[in-house]
Amino acid sequence: MIVALILGFALLLIGIYGMLSQKNLIKIVIGFSIADTGTHIIIVSIGYLRNRTAPILNSAVDISKAVQQVVDPIPSALVLTAIVIGLAVTALMLSFVVELYKKRQSLSIDDYQELKW
Amino acid sequence: MVNPIYIIILSLAAGFLLSIFDKSGRKLSLIVFYSVLTFNVFVIADWFYRFTVLGVSTLTINTAGFSAPLSINLQLGIQEAFVLLFANLTGLLAAIYLIKKFKESNISSLVLYLILIMGVNGLVMTRDLFNMFVFLEILSISTFALTILTKNKKSLSAGFKYMIAGGVASTFFLLGVVFVYYFTGNLNLDFINPSDFTNYGLIAIFLLSIAVFIELKPFPANGWALDVYESVNSGITSVIAVVNSAAIIFVFYKIMPLLPQNLLNIFGIAGVVTFFFSNLMGLKQTNAKRLLGYSSIGQMGLLVASIIYTIHSPNKLIYLIVGGFFTNHLIAKAGLFWITGIVKKEKIKDWGILKENKFLLILFGLLLFALSGIPPFPGFWAKWEFIKLLVHGKMFFVVGGILLGSLFEIVFLFRWFTIAVKGEVPSENPKISFEFSKYFSTTIFVGITLTISVVIMKYFYDFNWFQFLPLIAVVVLYFLDFIPSKIKGFLSLIAVGIYGYFLYPFESNLQLFFGIIFIVGSAINIIATLNRKNINKGFYGFLLMMIFSFGNLLIAKSYLEFFLAWEFMTISSFVLILRGKKAQKASLLYIIFSTAGAYLMMIGFSLAPNLTSNSALIIAISNINLPILVTVLLAIGFMIKSGSLGVHIWLPEAHAEAESDVSPFISAILLKAGVFGLFMVGISYINHVPAFDMFYWIGWIGVLTAIVGAFLASFQEDAKRLLAYSSMSQVGYIVASIAILSHLGWLSALYLSFNHMMFKSALFIAIAGVYYRTHTRTMYEMGGLIKKMPLSFISVLIGIIAVSGVPPLSGFGAKWLIYSSFIERGWYLQAGVLFFASAVSFLYLYRLIHTIFLGQLKYEHQNVKEAPIWFLIPQVIFMVGIMAISMYPNLIIQPLNSIVGNYFNSSIIVDGYNITSSLGNWNGNMIMFVTMGIFVVPLIILVLLNGRTQTVKQFNIVYAAERPESPQTTHIAYNMFAHYRKALGGWGKPRIWNFWHETNEWAHSLSGLFRQIYTGNGQTYILHIILYIVVIYFIMGV
Repeated sequence: MIVALILGFALLLIGIYGMLSQKNLIKIVIGFSIADTGTHIIIVSIGYLRNRTAPILNSAVDISKAVQQVVDPIPSALVLTAIVIGLAVTALMLSFVVELYKKRQSLSIDDYQELKW
Repeated sequence: MVNPIYIIILSLAAGFLLSIFDKSGRKLSLIVFYSVLTFNVFVIADWFYRFTVLGVSTLTINTAGFSAPLSINLQLGIQEAFVLLFANLTGLLAAIYLIKKFKESNISSLVLYLILIMGVNGLVMTRDLFNMFVFLEILSISTFALTILTKNKKSLSAGFKYMIAGGVASTFFLLGVVFVYYFTGNLNLDFINPSDFTNYGLIAIFLLSIAVFIELKPFPANGWALDVYESVNSGITSVIAVVNSAAIIFVFYKIMPLLPQNLLNIFGIAGVVTFFFSNLMGLKQTNAKRLLGYSSIGQMGLLVASIIYTIHSPNKLIYLIVGGFFTNHLIAKAGLFWITGIVKKEKIKDWGILKENKFLLILFGLLLFALSGIPPFPGFWAKWEFIKLLVHGKMFFVVGGILLGSLFEIVFLFRWFTIAVKGEVPSENPKISFEFSKYFSTTIFVGITLTISVVIMKYFYDFNWFQFLPLIAVVVLYFLDFIPSKIKGFLSLIAVGIYGYFLYPFESNLQLFFGIIFIVGSAINIIATLNRKNINKGFYGFLLMMIFSFGNLLIAKSYLEFFLAWEFMTISSFVLILRGKKAQKASLLYIIFSTAGAYLMMIGFSLAPNLTSNSALIIAISNINLPILVTVLLAIGFMIKSGSLGVHIWLPEAHAEAESDVSPFISAILLKAGVFGLFMVGISYINHVPAFDMFYWIGWIGVLTAIVGAFLASFQEDAKRLLAYSSMSQVGYIVASIAILSHLGWLSALYLSFNHMMFKSALFIAIAGVYYRTHTRTMYEMGGLIKKMPLSFISVLIGIIAVSGVPPLSGFGAKWLIYSSFIERGWYLQAGVLFFASAVSFLYLYRLIHTIFLGQLKYEHQNVKEAPIWFLIPQVIFMVGIMAISMYPNLIIQPLNSIVGNYFNSSIIVDGYNITSSLGNWNGNMIMFVTMGIFVVPLIILVLLNGRTQTVKQFNIVYAAERPESPQTTHIAYNMFAHYRKALGGWGKPRIWNFWHETNEWAHSLSGLFRQIYTGNGQTYILHIILYIVVIYFIMGV
C-alpha cells in the first residue's frame, strides 16, 4: 500500500505548503484540512496488509482464522477518532475566522499581527 | 478512597449536563461546576496522601473489562498524583478567580472548562498513546475555545495562531503515534520496547517526541504562545500556563523512556537554549503579561532540562530539583498572572499603582521572589542542587546558560518589582478594584508556596531554628507592624541582644571577632533608627532579617547554610535599600551585582570538595584544598559584595540612596560580609598554596580600589556618596591587607575592619543627622553648621581623623600596621600607591568637614538644631570606642594577635602599650599623650590671643558688581577639586561605569534583535515550527 502512503505524505506536504503560502485565513484552514486528510490516509495505509479483507467478522471471514485473514483493524479504529477530532478542530478554526472577519472585515493573515515581539 | 476514573467520568458527565442544569438558573450550574472541581481536588489529594504517607503502591485502572494492552489503562502513582494535585488545585483556584466571569458568560465556558480539566486528568493518567492523543486534542480544543472567554480582536487572533500551531503539532503527534504502532505493534507505554525503534523506527519516536516538545514552547518555535499569554484573560492564561503545561510536561516525562539518549541530549540543550533566550528577550519587554509569557516559556525550558539531566539521580534529588522547579514555576506564574488580572495595567511602568495596595504588593513581591529563585522558595533549592549536579557532570555550558538566563530574569523581574514599589502612580484609573475571589486564589497560592518552602527546609535539609530565624523575624514583625516604630525598634534591639547571646557559644576567634562587628555593631546602629516616627511598616522585619543572616554566616556549617545566609542577607539588604526615596535604580543595580556574585559563588561551592568536619565553615575550610577555579569564583563573589574596583558601581548608588539610617548598616557592616568571605577563601588558601599566586592580583585590585575610591570620593558633591566612595577605598585597604597573607597583614585587615565599622558608622549617622535637619545631602548647600550642630561636628572630626590615619587616633595604628605589613612582604610599589591613596583621602575628608561644618552658615539653615538624641547616642558610643582603642590599642591588638596566631606565626610583640614589629614599634598610648600635648599648647596660645580677633558678620559681604543667579555654584565648595580632576585628565573618565552601561545596552539591543523573530504573523510561527522540527531532525542525525 505504498501508493497510499506516498499519497498521504504528498497531501500532508501540500497542506502544510498551503498553510505557509496562502494569506487568506480560510485557505489556511483548508490547508490544515488537507494536511489532516493526508495524515488520515497515512494511518489507514499502514494498517493495510496485502491480500486481506476488511476487519469485519461476517460470513466472508472464518472466525477461527480471522487474525490471518483481515487487515489490522486498529489503524482503522484510530482514523475514525482522528477524523472526528480533525472535524472539530477545523470547525473551531472556521468559527474563529468568522469572528475575526466580523471584527475587522479582513481575511488576510497579515492584518492580524499587532501582537508581536 | 474513590477510583480516580470518576474524576474523568464525573467531569465529562457534569460537562454535558451543565447546559441542562443551566435551564433552572446559573446558580445551580455554578454549584455543580465548583462541586465537581472540588471533588477532583479532594480525590487526588486523598490519593496523594495515600501514596506519600501511607505508602500505597501505584494504582492501575483497567477499562472496558480487559487488561492492557487490549484495553486502555490508566495509572495513578505518586508522580501522577503530584502533578494532578497541582493541576486540579490550580484549576479550582483559577475557576474561583474567574467566578465573576463565569456568572455572566455563556454556559459553554463552564462546559469547556470542565472538559479541559477532564482532558488534563486523562492526559496525565493514561498509558495509551492514542488515548493520549485524544486527551491532548480534548485539552487543546477546549483551551482554544476558552481563549476567547473575553472576546476581542487580540484574543481572537492570538487564539487563531494558537490553533494552527497546535493543529500542526498534533498532526505530527498523531503521525508519531501511528508510526510507533507500526514499528512496535503496540500503543501502550508499558508494553512498548524502546529497542524496537531502530533505523526508521527512530522517525516514529522522533515525530512523537518533537510534537510534545513543540507543545512545550521551545525557542524559537513559540511565538504563538507569547501572543496567547499577552492577550487572553488572566484567569485562562494561568490555566494555559500552569494546568496545560503541567499536563504536557508530564506527557513528555512519560514518553521519555522511549527516547534515545542523543535525542534526550538535544532536548536538554534545547530546553536550556529556550531558557536563556526567553529571558534575554524578556529584557526588552514592557507589557506585563507578555513578560510573564517570556518568563513562563523560559521556565518550561528549564523544567525540561532539569527532567532530562536529573534522570539518573536518586529519587529524593529528582523530587527536590524537578519538583522544586515545577511547583515554584507553576505557583508563581499562576499567582502573577492572577495579579496582572487584578491590577489591570498592561504596561509595566504603570505598576507603581501597586504601592497603594500593600497587601497585593506583598503577594506580588513574594511570588516574584519565588520566581527569581530566592530562598526560601522551592526554586532556590532546586537551582542549588541542579547547578551542583550539572557542575559535577562537567556541563559548564549548561550551567553558564542557566545562570546567565537567570540573571536576565532577575533583571527584568526586579526592575518590575522596583517599579511596583517606587514607580509613579499612573494618573488614569489610579485605584485597584477589589474582588474577593481574585485575592482569595492568589493568597492561597502564596500560602502554599510558603508552606512548601518550610517543608523543604525542615524535611529535606533538616535545618534548625537558627537558619529559620531571618524568616521568623520578618514574619513576626509583619504581625507586629501595627505598633509604633520606636517600640519595634526597642524590641529589635532586644532581639538582636538575645540573638547575640545565643550566638556567642558557637563562636570562637575569627567568628567572635566578626560577630562583634556584625552583631554589636548592628545593635549600636539600631539606636539611630529609633529616631523614626510613626509606624514604618516592614522596616524592622527586614533589618532583623539582615542582622540575623550576618550572624548565621558566621556559624554556617555547610556551603549551603552559608549560601542560604548569604542570600537572606542580600535580599533583606535589597529591600532595605529600596526603601530609600530615589532608590529604584540603586537597589536594582545592587541586586543585579549581588546575584551575579551569588551565582559565581554557587558554582564555586558546587565545585568545592566536600567538607570533612562538622564544625563551622570558616574553621572547617582550613582542611579543604579548594581548586584554584573555586578560589577565583568565590573571591570574585565576595569582592563584588565588598565593592572592589570594577564591580563597585552598585556601591555608591546603594549607599547614597538608601535611607540615611540604613546606610551605616550597608557601609559599615554589610561590606564586612564580603571581607569575612575573603578571609574564608584565604584560610583555605594558606593551608594549600596553589601554584598560581592569585592573592597577589587580589592585592593589586585592593590597592587600586583604595586609590580610585579615594579619588572618586574627592569629586563628590553629595556627602553620602563621598562617604560611600570612602568606604570603597577603605575596604580596598582591607582587601589588599588580606591579600598579603601574613600575620601582620591579616592583623591590619582585621584591625582596620573593626575601625572602619566604628568610624564609618559614626560618620554616616552624623551625616544622617545633618540631612535630617537640613534636608540636603549636597555639601555646597551647607556650611558653618559647627555652631548649630557641635556634637555632630566633633563626631565627624574624630571620624575623619580616624579615617585619615594621622596620629593620635586608631587610624594611625591601622596605617602603621598596613604599611609595615606591605614593606615586610616586599610589596613596595603597592605600599607606595596606598600611601598616595592616603594622601588623596585627605582631600575628601577635608572637603567633608570643611564644606559642611566650617565656612559660612547658609541663610536657610539659621534655625537648624543639633541632631536628634537618637543619632547622637550611637555616635558617642562609637567615639568612645575609637578613643578607647586609640588610647589602649592593646585592647584589640592583643586578641587579634592571638586570633591571627591561629593561622600564622606571630610577628609582633605586644608589651604593655607598646607593639613591636620587625620594622619598628608603635605605642598608641604614648602617641595619644604626645599629640594631645602638641594640640594643647597652640590651643592655649590661641585662647589667650583670642581677644584680638574681630568677628565678621556672615552677610557682611558684597559680591563684586553682580549677584550670581545661583550663589552656591560660585561657592568654593562647589566642584572643590576641579583642578585635581583636570590634572587627572583622561584618568578621570568614568570608564568602569561606561563599561557596565555599555554591557547593559548591548544586552538590551540583543534582546531587541532576537525578539524580532516573533513577527506576529501566524504563518511565520508555523514556519518556525516546521523549521524547528527539520533542524532538530538533522541535529539528531538519523
